[in-house]
Amino acid sequence: MKTLFYLTIITSPFFIFSAGEYRCGSMECDYFEADVSDKASLQRGLSTYMNYCYGCHSLKYSRYKRVAEDLLIPLEMYENNLIFDGSKIGELMEISLTKEDAINWLGAYPPDLTLEARLRRPDWIYTYLRNYYPDSSRPYGVNNRVYQNVNMPHVLEDMQNNLSESQYDQVIYDLTNFMTYVADPSAEQRKRIGTYVLLFLIIFTAFAYMTYREFKKDLK
Amino acid sequence: MSENTIGKKSLDWVDKRFPVIDLFERHLSKYYSPSNINIWYLFGFLLLIVLVMQILTGLWLMMNYTNTAEGAFSSIEYIMRDVDYGWLIRYMHAGGASAFFALIYLHMFRGMMYGSYQKPRELIWVGGWFVYVLLCAEGFTGYVLPWGQMSFWAAQVIISLVGSIPYFGEDLAIWIRGDYIVSGITLSRLFAFHVVLLPILIIAVVFFHILALHEIGSNNPDGIDVKKHTDQDGVPLDAKPFFPYDITHDFYALGVFLLIFCTVIFFFPEGGGYIIEYVNYEPANPLSTPAHIVPSWYYTPFYAMLRAIDFPLFGLTAKFLGFVVMAAGIAIFAALPWLDRSPVKSIKYKGIFSKIFLAGFVISFFVLAYLGSVPPTETKNMLAKVFTFLYFAYFLFMPLYTRFEKCKPVPERVGDIA
Repeated sequence: MKTLFYLTIITSPFFIFSAGEYRCGSMECDYFEADVSDKASLQRGLSTYMNYCYGCHSLKYSRYKRVAEDLLIPLEMYENNLIFDGSKIGELMEISLTKEDAINWLGAYPPDLTLEARLRRPDWIYTYLRNYYPDSSRPYGVNNRVYQNVNMPHVLEDMQNNLSESQYDQVIYDLTNFMTYVADPSAEQRKRIGTYVLLFLIIFTAFAYMTYREFKKDLK
Repeated sequence: MSENTIGKKSLDWVDKRFPVIDLFERHLSKYYSPSNINIWYLFGFLLLIVLVMQILTGLWLMMNYTNTAEGAFSSIEYIMRDVDYGWLIRYMHAGGASAFFALIYLHMFRGMMYGSYQKPRELIWVGGWFVYVLLCAEGFTGYVLPWGQMSFWAAQVIISLVGSIPYFGEDLAIWIRGDYIVSGITLSRLFAFHVVLLPILIIAVVFFHILALHEIGSNNPDGIDVKKHTDQDGVPLDAKPFFPYDITHDFYALGVFLLIFCTVIFFFPEGGGYIIEYVNYEPANPLSTPAHIVPSWYYTPFYAMLRAIDFPLFGLTAKFLGFVVMAAGIAIFAALPWLDRSPVKSIKYKGIFSKIFLAGFVISFFVLAYLGSVPPTETKNMLAKVFTFLYFAYFLFMPLYTRFEKCKPVPERVGDIA
């Protein structure tokens, strides 16, 4: 019994680390740390998203107005530049591409990406968007090291060709940062409130402890 | 409140019509708990707090949740984004579910360690076990409601287990689902169970559990009967009133618990994928099965048992046998009071075999929890079999090892050395 116990303790790390395949397809995910307090980065990411991704990928759980407010973009400026289909600013960020059209034109319906950063994690997105490579056997002439035989064309190909590697990485960083924000827009508020809650609880616990200690003296 | 103040008058008025003072004394100020109880005795109070929190947050969630296949997923995101502090209510509820199970496992382990299920506390134990079973059902039905990929497929897997019952299983599964596969019909009935039937039952059985406890009183780490030695007024000597001595201890524990709980829900609300699974951020899709279907962490030991049985026997399918073993793994707790033949309660005074088997149980619980959370391989399946056996060995051999092992003498009173 004891041998079995020690055997389990000793061998358990091997089970954990022998997970096998990488989380980012054929490679390790690149390091990515979001900074959703960097509004300038989020604004650049939003602009890339709206101009390159939003034609096919909706953000249908999010509202234009919430994004504008959270990213400190004046509502009027947002309405004039980043709403393309005459939607009202309080509406959900839905796209006009229908399922039937998408399947006729592209062969598949591009998924909504509001929650993509929570589903696949930000480092996956960051790695994925930087790992397209030419592959003449694929319909769009490109393939992806993270997502083998991906259906999506490399929509940022021109950008990648015209920018330096570090400039392109920055574009993808901002885009991923924005997607991280839009997947969990309450994160900043949550951490701010959480700090106050914990401070209150420290005081509460201290007083509760002192009360407990005071009463405990009776029992001696 | 000595004179005829308004407070005293109104209390008198109420007390003549409803026994407030009597209830306060019987359950708080003159309810005695052993003087030697330790931190293992705090989890019951914390569980009660979490129960209240789950009911309140659940109520608020329900105000904005839509129980249809079309609307469920987006209504959760509506709560997370458009409802004021909806994210907080939802994280409290999701985190609360995990906290509920973490605390109930600690609470149950305390009972196993100190033999709290033994005579005369059999009904307290069985009542508590029933709360746990109801909680498992509550957790499962709640998990389905966000209608993400894992919600859907977990429901599909769990309900299909019923389908493995010979002869009428398939019909029973269809009856439960209300459909040939898990669908919006299943969702809305699980919703009804989650918000009405199961909470009512849980509250009722918790009430029974506490009432039974207050009749007999708490056990203690030494397993001593503290009611044996009393002063001339009948007050137990080795005990203290619950109010104010235990309640102040409980509030201190509540502070510590909330510090941990709030750190999780405000800073790590997904709990690394253990509280809210990442796959569940994709809406339910009956046409695409996720690569790995895993239940929530608190069910993984039993899921590992289910998968460990991968061979048919006596004409019964492996799936059905696995289902039976899994159900037995949960059900067998209820039999503990009658399996334990030891003359002593606490593990402190039990013999070496009780200690070894209890340690074996704890290790197998953790190992099975791990095995149930990862994709199976041949080695892991083998290990799951070994540890499933070890898990059951604690219960099934208990009548033997508790009867024949050599126990230490139990002191007569708290603080005595026997």
